[in-house]
Amino acid sequence: MKGIIKKIDRINFGLMSPEQIREMSVVKIERPDTYDEDGYPIESGLMDSRLGVIDPSLKCRTCGEKGGECQGHFGMIELARPVIHVGFGDDIHKILRSTCTECGRVLLDDDEIEEFTEKMEELQEAGESVEDLVKDVYKICKDKKTKEVCPHCGAEQEDIKIVKPIDIIEVRKQYDENGELMTEEDGTPLTEDYDLTASEVREKLQRIPDEDAYVLGVNPEVARPEWMVLTVLPVPPVTVRPSITLDTGERSEDDLTHKLVDILRINQRLIENMDAGAPQLIVEDLWKLLQYHVTTYFDNEASGVPPARHRSGRPLKTLAQRLKGKEGRFRSNLSGKRVNFSARTVISPDPNISINEVGVPEMIAKEVTVPTYVNEWNIEELKEAILNGPNVHPGANYVKKTINGKEMKVRVLDDNRELVVENLEYGDVVMRHLKDGDIVLFNRQPSLHRMSMMAHEVRVLPYKTFRLNLCVCPPYNADFDGDEMNMHVFQTDESRAEAKSLMRVQEHILSPRFGGPIIGAIHDHISGAYLLTRDGFTVREDDAFQMIRKSHLLNNEYVDKKHLKRKNRDWTGKELFSLLLPDDLNMNYKAEICRKCETCLKEDCQYDAFVVIKDGQLTHGAIDEAAYGSFSGKILDTIVKEYGPSRAKEFLDRSTDLAICGIMKTGITTGTNDEEIPEEAIEVIDAHLDKAEQEVDKLIATYEEGLLQPLPGRSAEETLEMRIVQVLGEARDTAGEIAEGYLTMGKQSQDDSYDYVMAVENHSVVMARTGARASMLNLTQITACVGQQAVRGGRIERGYINRTLPHFKKGELGAKAKGFVHSSYKSGLDPIEFFFHAMGGREGLVDTAVRTSRSGYMQRRLVSALEDLKLTADGSIRNTADTIIQFRYGEDGTDPTRSVGGKVIDMDDLFTEVLGDDADALLRLDSRDVGEDYGSREKDEMEYFEEENSDYESETEYESE
Amino acid sequence: MAKKDTFNALVTRGVETSVADELLTKFSTLKSISEAGVEGLMEIGLSEEVANDVITKVGKRASRSTAKKKAEEVEVVHMEIVSNKHHEYSDEEKKLLAMEEELGIKLPLKVIVDIASRLEGADISDEKCRELLTVADRMYQSHRMDPHESAGVMAAHSLGEPGTQMNMRTFHFSGVANILTTQGLPRLIEIVDARRIPSTPSMDIPLKGLAAEDEKVARLVSYEIETTSLLNIATVETDITNMRMIIHPDQRKMDERGVTMADIIERLNKVKALRGLVSSDDFEITVTSDEPSFKKLQVISDAVKNAKIKGIDGISRAVLTKDRDDRWKIITEGSNLKEVLKVDGVNNEKTMTNSILEVADVLGIEAARNAIIREAFGTLSEAGLNVDIRHIMLVADLMTNDGYVKAIGRHGISGRKSSVLARAAFEITAPHLLHAAMNGEVDHLEGVAENIIVGQPVTLGTGAVNLIYTPKKGDE
Repeated sequence: MKGIIKKIDRINFGLMSPEQIREMSVVKIERPDTYDEDGYPIESGLMDSRLGVIDPSLKCRTCGEKGGECQGHFGMIELARPVIHVGFGDDIHKILRSTCTECGRVLLDDDEIEEFTEKMEELQEAGESVEDLVKDVYKICKDKKTKEVCPHCGAEQEDIKIVKPIDIIEVRKQYDENGELMTEEDGTPLTEDYDLTASEVREKLQRIPDEDAYVLGVNPEVARPEWMVLTVLPVPPVTVRPSITLDTGERSEDDLTHKLVDILRINQRLIENMDAGAPQLIVEDLWKLLQYHVTTYFDNEASGVPPARHRSGRPLKTLAQRLKGKEGRFRSNLSGKRVNFSARTVISPDPNISINEVGVPEMIAKEVTVPTYVNEWNIEELKEAILNGPNVHPGANYVKKTINGKEMKVRVLDDNRELVVENLEYGDVVMRHLKDGDIVLFNRQPSLHRMSMMAHEVRVLPYKTFRLNLCVCPPYNADFDGDEMNMHVFQTDESRAEAKSLMRVQEHILSPRFGGPIIGAIHDHISGAYLLTRDGFTVREDDAFQMIRKSHLLNNEYVDKKHLKRKNRDWTGKELFSLLLPDDLNMNYKAEICRKCETCLKEDCQYDAFVVIKDGQLTHGAIDEAAYGSFSGKILDTIVKEYGPSRAKEFLDRSTDLAICGIMKTGITTGTNDEEIPEEAIEVIDAHLDKAEQEVDKLIATYEEGLLQPLPGRSAEETLEMRIVQVLGEARDTAGEIAEGYLTMGKQSQDDSYDYVMAVENHSVVMARTGARASMLNLTQITACVGQQAVRGGRIERGYINRTLPHFKKGELGAKAKGFVHSSYKSGLDPIEFFFHAMGGREGLVDTAVRTSRSGYMQRRLVSALEDLKLTADGSIRNTADTIIQFRYGEDGTDPTRSVGGKVIDMDDLFTEVLGDDADALLRLDSRDVGEDYGSREKDEMEYFEEENSDYESETEYESE
Repeated sequence: MAKKDTFNALVTRGVETSVADELLTKFSTLKSISEAGVEGLMEIGLSEEVANDVITKVGKRASRSTAKKKAEEVEVVHMEIVSNKHHEYSDEEKKLLAMEEELGIKLPLKVIVDIASRLEGADISDEKCRELLTVADRMYQSHRMDPHESAGVMAAHSLGEPGTQMNMRTFHFSGVANILTTQGLPRLIEIVDARRIPSTPSMDIPLKGLAAEDEKVARLVSYEIETTSLLNIATVETDITNMRMIIHPDQRKMDERGVTMADIIERLNKVKALRGLVSSDDFEITVTSDEPSFKKLQVISDAVKNAKIKGIDGISRAVLTKDRDDRWKIITEGSNLKEVLKVDGVNNEKTMTNSILEVADVLGIEAARNAIIREAFGTLSEAGLNVDIRHIMLVADLMTNDGYVKAIGRHGISGRKSSVLARAAFEITAPHLLHAAMNGEVDHLEGVAENIIVGQPVTLGTGAVNLIYTPKKGDE
């Protein structure tokens, strides 16, 4: 609101010269103490009040501001002797190795210097990294260093070594008394290592001229090589290292302060010793100690340096540690920040609110506020809110007024309410409570895609949980087993406007991942809609109207009144569902319950699985997951794409309402009775499994006789294992198929003959077949046979020596001995089977734990690599350096969200629109791959994996920071 | 040696003695027999059947000559495919393209091709065709992505989010061939990492010409590819007393793989540790140590056992299977694209490896880009996850943008960003900052991470638009 937002144009990086450090310093720190006995900062101590203050009762002696207002000022420590900066040890080594021992010029001839300078300037102008070129320079010079003389002064070169992180060593060639080079027997020169002191290093670096420094990667505009060796150390202001007062009244200092105390102590001792003319050895020892403290002050995790520790033995957190890693400044405080006006609580479901709403507990609504500008139209309302005060719901907590250009924030209290209301005028800002219709941001971690943060409208509700519509569970990946979610309240009109047009739930029904709906009906919505719309379901007209009323279809802007007239007969479920559909909707598709018969009977499908919608009337087929489920809803998909998000939102809200009405009319129940199959079926299954187990035994016998023909490229053992797994797998599948034959949804048609008592109405099967929950695999595992348990991709191997459990003979290879569970869940597992099942189950859990961290890291890397790419106005994808990554996005510029099942446009729609009825011959409705399967496979498979936890060979290597 | 050896060799190869005698009337070496070919043998009065039999038994050389023939045939096919690389437009397509130009619109080629394919055979007036194109263009325009859309983040999310649903430790048998390949999340990570060698390198080699039809020829091709080590075809024994190794080649296995004694000796002589130590008689090969040291013998023993007699480095297994069109193809464990492409009988155009960097080295960066798309898409589909191919394309294009395959991560893209702050925020924070200071780098705050760090709107989406509305004064 307040003018131009962009303020920072660029950030220049550079090293500070000792002069700059002295210049910016407000005080020279000399005493290694902090506070005196009275708790006041000691003059020229580490807490000198010229460095700024933290205590609000004190005043900063530099700027005069109180504690909290003063942002702090730097001080400095004059180091008695120079010290190498840890972070630059490596660079100093490389630079020294690339320059002449005598004259300090870079070991390139003038032409080379010019060439490299030119190239680098070019790169720098283009804003690109010169790092690669600098590396080339280092490489050329390194070769010259050992083999040649200086091209500038002709001096012999001495090699430079480094002992990480900071010990620079000169490898000096040995000469005898006559000045002859001494050599080893084999002719290599005899050398001696000489430890360069920081002063010597600094002197060497000082000799490097600016032009040479440039090709060595030190930009003379902002840095000099010798600045990498410190002579004066900046002392950060106290605000950077505040001391904490414990409850006991004890003061606890920050780690940085501790480290600075160490540095100062040694520094003072060094000065004293030097002044007293102490022996060289002592001075050098102290110097080394100073170097150690400065090193750990910068980086306490430098390799080869023992970390400095706190008295308690905990390693200190010094400068580098503050910046680094997940909890470091960059990732924790700069890339992500803590915010106000946010709330977090447990979530619970509420099917009665719209998908774009969120139920907010009153308690939260009273705490998080919306800043509202007072104007002509809302002043009365806001006055009332202020009078309600902070503790009654539609109230207000603060009022912000601008008096004489100064902003004042007034807290609304019991005794000043009237006064505040009296003085309220246009332009004031009232921090009023959250109320119905406000727009807020709702989020659930892990925020893996943009649908993890969506804008909802507020519904203030009683109790203490956030309420959300069940259809938005899939995008958030939420369930209600104790999940918590976060809510953020927008504080500016711009953010609210942006959220309203870009982030609302209905704008995200389609997932950009595959261009299909990710928000959609789940669980009971699906089984409810099926029970309602399947053939033969009718309701009395009165009941029908009641359902229409209950699912808010009366006086609905999208439902034409003409459909709501009395029919004077029972209504079918299909008629009820048709009310939800736009009147000009035409489509047909195969429902989830489709049995994939060899020849499709289409409209005459005996399972009612061929859905036909003509002019908004559902004439054939039952509604199930394929119609409006999340990940796969075809009707939903069509409605969003053709009629827009608002219509789709309404469709989802109303259709789920209706489905719930339907399920309440028909009733739904499930229990183990659903998985009951006749005695004879169980016998058939058992016989089948026994046969398979015998077959396995036969295979083993063949193998033991050595007659098993190995598969090409496999050993006999591997072949046997593969064959057994295959035989057992097939056995389980057939067992499942047999059971499936008895597990029917109920009477499908009039002439359908079924004799089993339990098959009259099997809701478990209804749920599995319609895609509401569970799969036929789950049901057959309950009914027929659980199947092979797997650990590490194969049959179970581990346990005792050569056997899984002591119940078996050593080396036994049979089905049971290696984790084949013959029983069904319903009949119950025997102890051995149970144990194997638990083994498989445990592996699944471990796998999930490993997976989340690895995929999380992969996503972080992907986002970091791709975050800067955007589509420019000319249709190309570019990064921040304006490099073209793609000339046309995705080769056709199509938005995956808007694509038709990945295709640019829908051919059928095109032909229908242009040619009208003539187009029929050219349409390919059958092969229509609009949203073919979207994610239906994915769900099945997920469930399959969850259940089977068939996990395979392990791969150990794991990369993380 | 001469005739007697040849006779023995023939017999060990399973040629009947009578036939062998007959052969020796005209030929004196195995080589000459194989060079003569079937026709040559028939000339000396052998039946075709017997002649064929002899040729196959004589082994590798024979296959080479047939392979040569195949190679000629193959050349022709190759030329044809290269010249046919461009899409040949049909009449309908040409018509539509002309109209498109006339109307001044530009549709993706795929749309034109799709419309054309439906128009084929239907009687649609030009007027209607024009209308089709106009409407198609309207639809296309409405389906285009909006400018300033953060396509990158969308792609990253679309690839990362399904990662959480993927299975770890998933291995998959490619086809019936029983070759294990890494799948699932580990494979996806591997692709994105641009690893030099995948954890389970594998190749898919369709065959062509005779090799695709005939199992025997196909098998010969597979033996050209699969590494045959000495132990595959011979038993080796160590004679400690005489400081030597004795190799007993197994004739049956040698025939199977088309290896001759001469090949073995030649190959063994090429091994550095064995050079000059190999001697042979009719049935066995002896490698004698030149120094009386057990250490040396050990070295020799290892060298002999590991000696590669035939095949391509890196390919430890090659399994024959049939593809969908009932033609033979080879699936391998291990990958060496460059060498495999040289083998006769291999359908070069369709040979694939799952090692992306190898594709980049051998076929170039465009091929590598396609390989990334193919592998990533395949891995995701295998896991049953539906991800729009455009997202994968974007990742692949970014990875291959500058001509080298760069990894997604600190050694690749993220480590080379122009912004200091973005790099520091990703990984290895301190060194990036220190180097930036030394080099005097400038951060122009153009990217996302940097702007978030300094607390400004990012340059994507609504943040990319720099329009400010100043209302005229006095309008109120």
